[in-house]
Amino acid sequence: MSASSALASDTLRVGMSGGYFPFTFVRQDVLQGFEVDVMNAVAEETGLEVEFVTMSFSGLIGALDAGRIDTIANQITITPERSAKFAFTQAYVIDGAQVVVKRGNEDSIAGPADLAGKTVAVNLGSNFEALLRNLPEADKIEIKTYEANIAQDTALGRVDAFVMDRVSSAQLIQESPLPLALAGAPFSEIRNALPFRQDEAGLALRDRVDAALTRLRDSGRLAEISQTWFGTDITVATAAVEK
Amino acid sequence: MQGLDLAYMLGLVPVLLSYVPLTLFMAVVAMALALVLASLLAVERVLRIPVLDQLVVLFISFFRGTPLLVQLFLFYYGLPQVLSVLTQIDGVTAAIMGLTLHFAAYMAESIRAAILGVDRSQWEAAQSIGMTRGQMMRRIVLPQAARIAAPTLVNYFIDMIKGTSLAFTLGVTEMMGATQKEAAGSFLYFEAFLVVAVIYWILVEALSLAQRLLETHLNKAYAR
Repeated sequence: MSASSALASDTLRVGMSGGYFPFTFVRQDVLQGFEVDVMNAVAEETGLEVEFVTMSFSGLIGALDAGRIDTIANQITITPERSAKFAFTQAYVIDGAQVVVKRGNEDSIAGPADLAGKTVAVNLGSNFEALLRNLPEADKIEIKTYEANIAQDTALGRVDAFVMDRVSSAQLIQESPLPLALAGAPFSEIRNALPFRQDEAGLALRDRVDAALTRLRDSGRLAEISQTWFGTDITVATAAVEK
Repeated sequence: MQGLDLAYMLGLVPVLLSYVPLTLFMAVVAMALALVLASLLAVERVLRIPVLDQLVVLFISFFRGTPLLVQLFLFYYGLPQVLSVLTQIDGVTAAIMGLTLHFAAYMAESIRAAILGVDRSQWEAAQSIGMTRGQMMRRIVLPQAARIAAPTLVNYFIDMIKGTSLAFTLGVTEMMGATQKEAAGSFLYFEAFLVVAVIYWILVEALSLAQRLLETHLNKAYAR
């Protein structure tokens, strides 16, 4: 809630939604998840004091732009539009876009090619809408953007499918009581990184954090954090994700 | 359809209750400020002071004519791009500012109606004993208008309590923001939103009780 900029050089204000399991989520008032662990490790490496600021996902980019936070740790995918506006660190998660359907429908919708004529949910402000629009039959897909709860609405049958990253989709299906299933293989490689403002202070912070990510990668700490949350290393590219 | 997870709901109650002070703080401060601002605006609207009147009309028109969420985003994310000092304002302050200005615009109109609802003979009596317009407003008209306006103003306060739930979009984790995060972590949407709904409901019911006491008090002079 605070926006102390007096100590801006020693404090890294990290924005996240707190509502993106298992990357950033809250249980019994405790903020936790993969992103929280990664940023705490970055803080240790850089000596920066990390301050987590949670807000609804759609407010995050605006808050970064307005200087209210220094970066966003919420699986932000590197896109040409975002790269033009923000300075990214190296990718620390490499993932794929995944179609998810209500359990029982995975035969009729077995991948992105079957989405023509269907209604598909994506999170507002996420990169998956753009990925859907790039599909060959994009004009036949009705895309619905959501502020939250896309999984719930798919399970309720209000939409035919949703598209999210492969890792959290798999995790969601495993951990949540919702009747959902993966529809086919992931269809596009996505690289997620930390965006910073493109001014002097922002670029300096970016370089510091990027160097810390390199050290965390080399020491195996990054892979270790991934193993605790996902049981697999999502911080490197795998053959399972088609380019 | 699976059964309700009662243990989860019970565990959530103390967590969400810990956010009640913040919710009430934002609503009470915004209500106090809005009452003062709305009274000034309403008195101006009745007295129709030249130039100021046009500005007040514009103010009321804008803040009634645009959604609260748009106003909050405008203050919090938009204005700092124009005036960088505004990045110093934190989310709680921005939320209170937004709620104050938004609801003051509505409340000004209901206070104005209440002022005009005070019987004309009261105005004439005040003038006949030589009161200035300011004295007349302060001593005779506004106390009587308060009684007429009370029920609608309490309604706005109720709306304001619920309006604080928009503060999460400004990075303020208040009761609704906390609930959304808990629901995203547990996937127990029904349970989480049911708990928060009941808490808001109880808050507003407590307020309705206070409203009845307030009305009894304001009506004392009129009781037979």
